[in-house]
Amino acid sequence: MFKKTLYTLLLSSIALMALERGDAVPKNIQEKLKLESDKIYVVDFFASWCKSCKKELPLISNIYTNKIAKVIGINVDKNQEDGEDFVKELKLPFPIVYDSDKSVVEAFNPMGFPAIYYVKNGQVLNVIFGAVEEIDKKIKEDLKAIK
Amino acid sequence: MIKILFIALSSSLFMGCSLIKDVKPWEKETLAKPIMQFGGLHPEVTKFESHVYFSKEASRGGSGVAGGGCGCN
Repeated sequence: MFKKTLYTLLLSSIALMALERGDAVPKNIQEKLKLESDKIYVVDFFASWCKSCKKELPLISNIYTNKIAKVIGINVDKNQEDGEDFVKELKLPFPIVYDSDKSVVEAFNPMGFPAIYYVKNGQVLNVIFGAVEEIDKKIKEDLKAIK
Repeated sequence: MIKILFIALSSSLFMGCSLIKDVKPWEKETLAKPIMQFGGLHPEVTKFESHVYFSKEASRGGSGVAGGGCGCN
């Protein structure tokens, strides 16, 4: 009885853990993000109310427009319209997934915002949490190190 | 009997504790609103009020902490 309870507790705690370097992205999430194989994706979680995200997003747009990496934006606004207005305001050129049901963000479970994940072949290669000055330079450096 | 009552009471109390959930970074929309910052929407008014308080009480501070609320760092 005690063992069963312990295993249940352990399993439930694993489900709550955030994705970290080396972890696999769940299959259903990979399908939702339409990730192609053998390509490095920069998965950026953002919200319209996150000021640091607003600061970083134009620099991440440069990464996408200069074809340095594939970028997918995950908008986590409660109200999808807020997210859409924000995307229009910043004229974000990369594909956006509106995660109003929170399935993607709950799978990744980032510990802070903005959150950037490098994903290749369904595996998390690295993670960046929080605001970073000159995030575009940081991404370029990270991609060089990964390649 | 008292023991059982005590256990039932304390377990019901602790059950309440288990319902408390962490606020996740993506759930901090309300906390990130300008109205939620210390000093409200018009921090300059608060600044003036704190100046009056300092003049009258000869002390200041203890009115807040640094931080945004969106979970960014």
